[in-house]
Amino acid sequence: MRKSFIAENPSVLWFLAALSLFTLTVVLLSEATGTAMISTSFVKTLGKTLCLCLIAIAMDVVWGYCGILSLGHFAFFGIGGYAIGMWLMYARTETIVLESLQNQVIPPTPQEVSDAIGNQIFGVVGSSEFPLIWAFADSLFLQLLMVVLIPGLLALVFGWLAFRSRVTGVYLSILTQAMTLALSLYLFQNDSGLRGNNGLSGLQNIPGFEETSQATISIVFFLASSVALGAGYVFFAWIVTGKMGSVIKGIRDNEARVRFLGYHVESYKLFVFTVTAVISGIAGALYYPQAGIINPGEIAPIASIYLAVWVAIGGRGRLYGAVIGAAFVSLLSSWFTGGGAPDIDLGVYRIQWTDWWLVLLGVSFVAVTLFFPKGIGGLFDYLVRKPS
Amino acid sequence: MALFRGSRPKTPRKLDAMRRFLLAIALCLGALTQAQADDLQQILQVHADEVASPSRRSVGVLLDDLVASGLPQVPRFLEEWAGRTVWQGPDGRFFFGQEDGDQITLTDLDSGETRIEGRGGFTQLRPNGGVRRLIGTALVQYQLEDPDISRRESAVAAIARRPAADQLAPLVASIEGEPDDTLRARKTQLATFLSARFADTPQERIAAIDSLAQDTTVEARSVLNQILQTEAGVAASEPDGNIARLLNPMEAPDEYYAQLVEAGFAPAQTGPAVIRAALEAHIRDGTAGGVPLAQLGTDAARERAYAALSKEGLVPPLVTVETRDYALNAYVFYELYDEPNAEITAAAEAALASAEQRVAFAQAADLALDGLSLASIYFLAAIGLAITFGVMGVINMAHGEFIMMGAYTGYVVQLFVPDYTLSIIIALPLAFAVTFGAGVTMERLVIRHLYHRPLETLLATFGISIALQQLAKNIFGTQARPLTSPGWLDGAWVISDVIQISYIRIAIFVLALIFLALILFVLKRTRLGLEVRAVTQNPGMAASMGINPDRINMLTFGLGSGIAGIAGVAIGLYAKVTSEMGADYIVQSFMTVVVGGVGNVWGTLAGASLIGFLQKGIEWLNPSNTLAAQTYMILFIILFIQFRPKGIVALKGRAAAD
Repeated sequence: MRKSFIAENPSVLWFLAALSLFTLTVVLLSEATGTAMISTSFVKTLGKTLCLCLIAIAMDVVWGYCGILSLGHFAFFGIGGYAIGMWLMYARTETIVLESLQNQVIPPTPQEVSDAIGNQIFGVVGSSEFPLIWAFADSLFLQLLMVVLIPGLLALVFGWLAFRSRVTGVYLSILTQAMTLALSLYLFQNDSGLRGNNGLSGLQNIPGFEETSQATISIVFFLASSVALGAGYVFFAWIVTGKMGSVIKGIRDNEARVRFLGYHVESYKLFVFTVTAVISGIAGALYYPQAGIINPGEIAPIASIYLAVWVAIGGRGRLYGAVIGAAFVSLLSSWFTGGGAPDIDLGVYRIQWTDWWLVLLGVSFVAVTLFFPKGIGGLFDYLVRKPS
Repeated sequence: MALFRGSRPKTPRKLDAMRRFLLAIALCLGALTQAQADDLQQILQVHADEVASPSRRSVGVLLDDLVASGLPQVPRFLEEWAGRTVWQGPDGRFFFGQEDGDQITLTDLDSGETRIEGRGGFTQLRPNGGVRRLIGTALVQYQLEDPDISRRESAVAAIARRPAADQLAPLVASIEGEPDDTLRARKTQLATFLSARFADTPQERIAAIDSLAQDTTVEARSVLNQILQTEAGVAASEPDGNIARLLNPMEAPDEYYAQLVEAGFAPAQTGPAVIRAALEAHIRDGTAGGVPLAQLGTDAARERAYAALSKEGLVPPLVTVETRDYALNAYVFYELYDEPNAEITAAAEAALASAEQRVAFAQAADLALDGLSLASIYFLAAIGLAITFGVMGVINMAHGEFIMMGAYTGYVVQLFVPDYTLSIIIALPLAFAVTFGAGVTMERLVIRHLYHRPLETLLATFGISIALQQLAKNIFGTQARPLTSPGWLDGAWVISDVIQISYIRIAIFVLALIFLALILFVLKRTRLGLEVRAVTQNPGMAASMGINPDRINMLTFGLGSGIAGIAGVAIGLYAKVTSEMGADYIVQSFMTVVVGGVGNVWGTLAGASLIGFLQKGIEWLNPSNTLAAQTYMILFIILFIQFRPKGIVALKGRAAAD
């Protein structure tokens, strides 16, 4: 009888405790509960950060545990966002259109309603017809299904093709990068059916909750993101522990040897790749209603590289490392670029962090890779190391 | 002929008419011995009224007479007339006049004698714009044979701009005596164009049209298209005339039905919007057409209500899909050639098809040139990467930023050296030096610590990449900086109307060739190349043979980076220099290397060619959408790597092992 995976992975309990504490604190201090120590926009930032942490864990599993450096996971994140965004935008436009048509003497036909909605949504790209991919946009259930299905299917097909022909290492990284580049270029077209570079907007307004304040909505999404992160952490912890986890880590360390031991390496890799893609899609679906807007620029290759960098800075091969890396870098980034950091006056030159933050960030990547290959998470090793 | 013309005065004043009649008889007699009348004044006096106050509609008769007279004085007179320097004296005679205060210098039209008189009694002739244009047309035939080549050229250009039937004969006549070869060829070409459209007999026209099939110029095709112009129409039965084609109205029923409506053959279509408007206009007691308003939320209910209204005669009858299709089938939709002769249109269609086929071949050649130049750009951008990534196995995400550094080096050099040719000559080696230095520094400080962790070099170099990008932005600003090419690289090498290629692209192609040769030379024929290959294949063995792998790695990395710098100068010449330009090339470059096959210069060449030609090919299939072209190209590359995971030129044997 093997031990429970939680016993093997003590970080799960610690993480869940820390996450609950953090969530509780934020909720209590938010505007929704009246204390208003944390502004609504900051709650949204924190909620978004939790979603980024979720995709970072997924990235950590696929890279840190399975050794597949995917530079395309933000594509799945974006697809999740688009899938939920289509419903949000459709439902909200429908409400507005119905309201404006109500004043007319003759009640509108379904065709007229659909035309008016199409006009509202696709007017910016000079069209008014619903593309085929919007066929299910009126159904929340079906679009939620898409959030899971489309990233899953894409990852399944892509992964099957790639792993089957034994594309590994750097080649696979570049292939995944090509995938996300192709997707973002495709979405940039006006006739892609997803409003070209305008993207989908107004996603922060949840249909059916027009009366609810953004403060409340932000807290609801924050809680949802927190629950998703917690669940995702437990799920991935379960995957990377036990026999399957051992095989996955074996593939990372020596793929050929695992294959010779009789394991079907491709299936394991495909499983990991697909499952992480699905979780990435879910993270995106939670992220973009809080961001309010999604456009093809979000899934440009650079985003996925940043994802890899977060995981590297946080510490690969440990789930909490990914969470720390994503939270630390993305919050620090918004602090610096948002003008939160004080400028440094050198006398001859004034360092403005909005200009110099990326330089600092770039140099820190180099420093972390060179001097702290285990990342920030590596610091915990010193804390928990038993004196010997 | 002359009698008929002369006896057709516009304003029959008795005296004038009499005089004209007599003169016309005299002219008619004179015509028998072909323009005995060597007196221009005499001809002008026949049409004195027309000369004094010409109108656009009737001046043609006068011009014809003038041209027919064949007098050498005519061209000068026409020019002066159009230039408003012809004056009429109190006796009705015409002179060339030069106004000078109260005085006027008069020149006799025929003898050329000059005299000075007072202005009194002389009136200046002021033909209006329309008349002057006609005069210009009449002048063209004189200018066609003018001794001054520039005037002949401008006459030919005038014909090309505004071709007309009456220019054909003088143009053909002028070809024989044309001394200039180029101009004669041009005249012959124009004569063919004109006779294809305006020649007298269909045989001549068909002959001219057939010879146009050989001509791939845009002009020739536009001549053919003009002959083939059609007009769409609709009728109850097939019309007479030269029918180009019959159309099938079911392809776009609504548009064709609109034509029917416009022609008055059918009632206007009652689309949803029309029905809605009609119902709104006929609301009575909360119902429309007997249907309560609240129930009008479906198309079926609305149509029912509309049908009820039309039964009352309040609105036109409902046009359903069935009635529409019935009406469409009852009529013939056709396109009619403007040209009535079917043989001519058939010949023109054939000629156009053949010309277009030739054009398609030329376009294919042009496309190949485009693909070649794009391939050489990709090759330049990727070859440095092929060395660092391919030979050393190091993923240098900052490679794009080295390209950018090279381009900015060129820009800075141009700030100090204003001569563009000199500045480029300085910039190329300087860019190499700068990026070589940067590459060596990076290798010493960062890369060499990471040789055993290849995936992490990706992260470290990515960090360097964003830092360098932001630094460039801080130093040079966000707006694009120009890197101006020398004057002799401006313009394009025009092979034909369709095939042309700009000199800058040729220069980049040549540069790419030079680099290919240079790199092959360095790798295969020098001591350094030997050592590089040795270290690539087996560092341990190479080290035991006395090669210092550290030094070789450093130099190889510097070499790859230096080439990126030179590529940057080349790319900057035709694209804008921005801090993000490197990022635009990095993914393409990686794909070039991977598709080509890692660790092989020929592979990079193959990869760059494949991607360059492919991208141009896809763009050609879908020219409106370069984004889609890029998308499909990347999808192709993804699929390609499935089937050849190690690229086009794959290393074999032990060297292939990671």
